[in-house]
Amino acid sequence: MSAAAPALELHDVTVAYGRRPVLWNVDLSVDAPGLFGIIGPNGAGKSTLLKAALGLVPLAGGTVRFFGRPLAEVRGRIGYVPQRETVDWDFPVSVLDVVLMGTYGGLGWFRRPGAAQREAARAALDRVGLADLAGRQIGRLSGGQQQRVFLARALVQAADLYLLDEPLAGVDARSQDRIFRVLDELRSEGRLVVVVHHDLRTAAEWFDGVALVDMRLVAAGPVAAVLTPENLHRTYAGHLDVLDELGRAVERGGRTS
Amino acid sequence: MIFETSKRVPQTAPWPRWRRTWLGAVVAGLAVLTGPWAAAAERPRVVATTTVVADLVRQVAGDRVAVDPLMGPGIDPHGYKATPRDADRLARADLVVASGLRLEGKLGELLGRLGTRGRVLAVAETLPTDRLIEVAPGLYDPHVWFDARLWSLCPPAVAEALGAIDPAAAVAHRTRAAALVERLERLDDEVRGRLASIPAERRVLVTAHDAFRYFGRAYGIEVVGVQGTSTESEAGLADINRLVDLIVARGLPAVFVETSVADRNVQALQEGARARGQPVALGGRLHSDSLGGPGSGAETLEEALRSNVETIFAGLTGGR
Amino acid sequence: MSQPAGIPYNTLVVAAAVAAVGFAAGVIGSFGVLRRRALVSDAAAHATLAGVVAAFLATGRRDLPTLLAGAFAAAVLALGGLVVIRRFTRTRDDAATAIVLGVSFGLGIALLAGISARGIPGAGGLEHFLLGHTAALTAGDATALAAAAALAVLIVWLGLKEATLVAFDPAFAAATGWPVALIDYALVTLMAAMVVVGLPAAGAVLVTALVVIPPVTARLWTERVATMVPLAGAIGLVAAVGGVATSNAVPRLPTGPTIVLVAAGVFSLSFFVAPRRGWFARRRAAVDAARALAERLRAAAAGEQTAPDPRGA
Repeated sequence: MSAAAPALELHDVTVAYGRRPVLWNVDLSVDAPGLFGIIGPNGAGKSTLLKAALGLVPLAGGTVRFFGRPLAEVRGRIGYVPQRETVDWDFPVSVLDVVLMGTYGGLGWFRRPGAAQREAARAALDRVGLADLAGRQIGRLSGGQQQRVFLARALVQAADLYLLDEPLAGVDARSQDRIFRVLDELRSEGRLVVVVHHDLRTAAEWFDGVALVDMRLVAAGPVAAVLTPENLHRTYAGHLDVLDELGRAVERGGRTS
Repeated sequence: MIFETSKRVPQTAPWPRWRRTWLGAVVAGLAVLTGPWAAAAERPRVVATTTVVADLVRQVAGDRVAVDPLMGPGIDPHGYKATPRDADRLARADLVVASGLRLEGKLGELLGRLGTRGRVLAVAETLPTDRLIEVAPGLYDPHVWFDARLWSLCPPAVAEALGAIDPAAAVAHRTRAAALVERLERLDDEVRGRLASIPAERRVLVTAHDAFRYFGRAYGIEVVGVQGTSTESEAGLADINRLVDLIVARGLPAVFVETSVADRNVQALQEGARARGQPVALGGRLHSDSLGGPGSGAETLEEALRSNVETIFAGLTGGR
Repeated sequence: MSQPAGIPYNTLVVAAAVAAVGFAAGVIGSFGVLRRRALVSDAAAHATLAGVVAAFLATGRRDLPTLLAGAFAAAVLALGGLVVIRRFTRTRDDAATAIVLGVSFGLGIALLAGISARGIPGAGGLEHFLLGHTAALTAGDATALAAAAALAVLIVWLGLKEATLVAFDPAFAAATGWPVALIDYALVTLMAAMVVVGLPAAGAVLVTALVVIPPVTARLWTERVATMVPLAGAIGLVAAVGGVATSNAVPRLPTGPTIVLVAAGVFSLSFFVAPRRGWFARRRAAVDAARALAERLRAAAAGEQTAPDPRGA
């Protein structure tokens, strides 16, 4: 029954911080499998969209469903990678400790991770190419390595739907390749990966589908249909800082269409 | 000394005339407004800091003055903090009688400043310094009142200060002061006789703080306080252990608590002594820095001293 | 009753009590420091004074359990006030903490002064809760304090996984279904309890030092939470017992401030000699890095000299 329902479905979602609305009436439905990008200018509410879907910020209105069900019933099928800057990397935990946190949801109250969880965590670390850094304190990693640790933690969750918040921000080229290879694998395993992303140039090559967001949903669907000059103008109007980038993107969009 | 101004007591008040007139007008106005209390307002108002000093003033003045005690029974004068209302009472008094020698720790500074305007008599500071116990250079133990003979030197000074603000009553004050001196001298003999009947090796008084040194010196009792002369200083563990050693070594049957001082230290003492096979009783509450309230049987200094002596006698002779 | 020769009974009682309190303070303080709630514990600590005085006024008793129950109620109330101020007035964290700390401490001092001015008899000794007063602890007090400390440590040990997760990454914890607010409240309540248990040892003004200094010191020595927590406990214990021993040796030296000073001493020492995070280690690392860089530059310069410059031609 849930096979028929979309993996992620937002209906009329509105979010406000205090009295200031940051997202208006977003309707979005994304099916598995696939790599789906959420794109828009700074402050457009992209991260808020993910957080609202996960219940981390309260909804002022609307509903969110995963696989046709409310979040609480399917939490185990959803993996999350928060923005890297939201945590203190000087925290006294090792790489393996952080990855093990991905198993906590399945363990429940007061049970400690055992050999099976450790095994899974090491496998996830291996998948992101950090197997030999398992014992290192997380502050002694590069930005890209830290991002891969977060990805490994989400992989341990063995989810069907992954929500990643800016996983490529401040990441070196090697880490970026590695991360995309893993995301690509996840897609080929039949999962849905939703990525908040800010770089228009790479968006067109990597994602199957995208949503353009600027406090409202401007457009959503296959890349070719959404990244049109007209939609981009509507999304980035008023954002002078990206006009230059926009120009190049429009040019390329014009060429490919 | 803090209360330098006490030396000026016999002089006339250094209040400016305009201020007295102004105050007089206010008092007169109040008298009209308050009607029945007018009589009370006409008597000189004397603020006394502690209950002990208030008793002294009452004994000397009878009902010729209105005595306004600043601290009630059971209040620890060392830690007393004046409220703005207190400052007002002090400022409006015809005479302030304090104990002095830094007994009123935090009040002292205020009294010192006040002394430049009104009159302040610090009774303990009128005593000859060679009769005082020096605890540090220039610093004297202020707990002078439980040596009845020493305390008997104070009433004349009070009578003199009261006579200065109300010359018409000067003779009456002097007469009452002389009677009090005589009573205190008799009391002194009585106390000495009573305590002398305690076996000499048991004449040790262990209390929460060092308020009984003059008492001990006068009546041949060794006095040991857990906390030092002022309740403000903190008892360390070393002090507790030292006292437990003493209790065990001397086989003391009782230790005493005071009405105005925390008894937690004394409880720790008892427990420590019990652990070493020396059960020690709580000898009862002694009046130290504060007299008792109405109906306590220790409302006056004389009653309080008698009550203390009976408590100590019972504690150190009874039990076994 | 038996006791080791040479150590007085009262010293044993006090040492046992402060050892338990010091250990628990270090353990629970670890999460306060990691969750960046150190100042919150300070607000709770300052509020306890009002609770102590209020408990005395309400019951007329001044035995330790009664007074500490009042202190705990006041600490929880202060923390509740903190939450309310933050949520409904959008005041920033530090400002809200300062408000609660100032107001509650002011209330405590006013009540204390009010008691001595109003002439409520038997109030003597309450001011000891300002700076702590270990010397007078009895065996009953020590048992109660040790039991409370043991319970607090047990709870933290049980919830070590949950507490670490919430302290490190609350967003991820919430996304994976953990009740972050509940765990946070539990931790903060434990901190309040710890502050109260530490009150007889260090007093309202100093107890925060007992909760904060050992974890910060332990952090210098280790990179793992699982090591840091017991280490912080051990440092707290050593500081507490060391403080009592010092106070025992020197007459008229108050115990609470001595404990805090010993803890500060351990911290200062650690600050210099700790591996990796210590001052000497960092300096050595910096020197090594500079030397390595110089070596590389020298090698590069040498290579340039020997190899003929292709662009020169």
